[in-house]
Amino acid sequence: MVLGEALLRTVLNFMTTLSNNDIAQAIYLTSKDKTGHELALSLKNVVSFLHRRRLLNKSEEILFSLNKIINDEKGVKIAKVSSANKLHEQNKKEIIHLFKKRYLAKDVIIEEKIEENLLGGVKIEINNELIDLTLKNRIYKLQEYLTTKYE
Amino acid sequence: MNNHIVENLKKEIENFKATLKVEKVGNVMEVFDGIAKISGLSDIKSSEMVTFSKGEVGVVLNLEEDAVGVIILSDYSHIKEGDVVKATGRILEVPVSDKIIGRVVNAIGAPIDGKGAIKGNNPSTSSGLSAYPIEKVAPGVITRQSVSEPVTTGIKVIDAIIPIGRGQRELIIGDRQTGKTAIAIDTILNQKGQNLICIYVSIGQKDSKLRKLQVRLEEGGAMDYTVIVSAGASESAALSYIAPYTGVSIAEYFMDQGKDVLIIYDDLSKHAVSYREISLLLRRPPGREAFPGDVFYLHSRLLERACRRNKEYGGGSITALPIIETQAGDVTAYIPTNVISITDGQIFLETDLFYKGIRPAVNVGLSVSRVGSSAQIKAMKKVAGTLKLDLAQYRELEAFAQFGSDLDEATKRQLERGKRAVEVLKQPQYAPVKIENQIVVLYALTKGYMDTIPVDKIKEYEQGLLDYSESRAKKFFKEITETKMWSDAGEAELKKVIEEYTKSFAK
Repeated sequence: MVLGEALLRTVLNFMTTLSNNDIAQAIYLTSKDKTGHELALSLKNVVSFLHRRRLLNKSEEILFSLNKIINDEKGVKIAKVSSANKLHEQNKKEIIHLFKKRYLAKDVIIEEKIEENLLGGVKIEINNELIDLTLKNRIYKLQEYLTTKYE
Repeated sequence: MNNHIVENLKKEIENFKATLKVEKVGNVMEVFDGIAKISGLSDIKSSEMVTFSKGEVGVVLNLEEDAVGVIILSDYSHIKEGDVVKATGRILEVPVSDKIIGRVVNAIGAPIDGKGAIKGNNPSTSSGLSAYPIEKVAPGVITRQSVSEPVTTGIKVIDAIIPIGRGQRELIIGDRQTGKTAIAIDTILNQKGQNLICIYVSIGQKDSKLRKLQVRLEEGGAMDYTVIVSAGASESAALSYIAPYTGVSIAEYFMDQGKDVLIIYDDLSKHAVSYREISLLLRRPPGREAFPGDVFYLHSRLLERACRRNKEYGGGSITALPIIETQAGDVTAYIPTNVISITDGQIFLETDLFYKGIRPAVNVGLSVSRVGSSAQIKAMKKVAGTLKLDLAQYRELEAFAQFGSDLDEATKRQLERGKRAVEVLKQPQYAPVKIENQIVVLYALTKGYMDTIPVDKIKEYEQGLLDYSESRAKKFFKEITETKMWSDAGEAELKKVIEEYTKSFAK
């Protein structure tokens, strides 16, 4: 904990330009393993630091980076699954199993989204990668194939 | 008939197998002025091509900690925050084939002349076009050969005093309206039958100017061996930035076939300005004249790709004629000094000379060609050897002679010779002179045959001499075309012809 606070202080004192990632990393280290009153105090310090450095407007990006750091630390991957219809539980289990193996993740969290214009199939966005198995994409690919062939 | 089409389509659809691909993606964070900031896209390379949701193409220029800066090469009005961006894993490429000759293409190689798609015959791609990456490391020293073959421009002052060789980079520099583009166009027009493919890259120019140029080239029959790459003034800075690299990639396609190519960048000042615009939008720190720190590298990596390859590596060459526009003759500005130091010499054009009627307005004292003389043909070297010195002495004496009229005979002679030399080197636009004709005229000048001709009659004399000698000095002309040098007999024949003509002209 001492290390985390020292890092935050170093960041505060010496760094002139701070990236969102640097700040998120420092916040993570200061609040790691803390609970209750200790955590509340630590977070209060973070907010006052952001306020002092006029970084509150960046809080959304910092939170995004913090989320990523926490997920990476815990070995959690977020899979954004878009489909035309609601997914069956069995399908979800299969997706989780597949990605746990692919990314050697401890856990995979599915964020579901219904998009009717996909027509059928699923589109999965995970770890900056896109796996598009939708009917819409297949039709688009077919269109591309036919236009290049008969141009 | 309809049934047949439906059957065919059915078969195609049945046989079609969509391949599953895991794609690297990111999301648009912000879009402004042709620039997009994108989150995600891990593992992306610099200069890699990305595609946006509606097929728009972008190129990665900035790799930051949690974002990627991309320049958009097409209409960006439909791109919005949150859109998915796909990485392609490929550096931006330009489609090329032999059929690109005679066409006008935009900065990404797509035809814009309304003559339909460019076809190709490469069996490994579905369109038949080969793809050449726009960024490539310049050929290394081992693959190169020194410049030894000339590019004849048809412009007397250049071919005689500032000769250009195949594989050379010769800068054309001067203020606005001094005839920079005219030199480039004349050079292209003179390449008919010279086995040189020409590529004209127009950067940030008015479409009307480009159209005029295209018509001029068509009229001169030059579009049979010319490609025009255009990034117009109305298009985004990103396209102006890409255009010269596209041009040189097309040139490399032909060089790889062992062909000689001439590429003209018109002009690199506007190219630097568009790169400055992109860099500032990408929040790169500005330096001198607000240009980014890597503006030298911008031009050096482009011009280094001009080269002459040796036989073991397939031969071929790329000769580059970059153009730079100066402001009020200031060659010490940032971009002019950079490009002067990169190139193998410069042709310096001056406004004063232009308005004095000396056209092309080449300042012979400041213009140099560092490697071109070894590419000059022997006969030209012989006649033009003393010309530069004569002109330099003339300029010095001209200033001196203004103060007094008591000049000795030798000085007077030199002044008279100088006046005639200046007159001979004048040349109208779109009137390239064949190299053998240039040699005849310069021979007559340097051997003193013109000394008795009044200065205002020099042009008339010159034209007459060329017409007269063409049918009478056949041996001389034959020798020049075949051996690039005259024999004693050939010289005697020419001398006789010139003497005869000078006598008849005096009458």
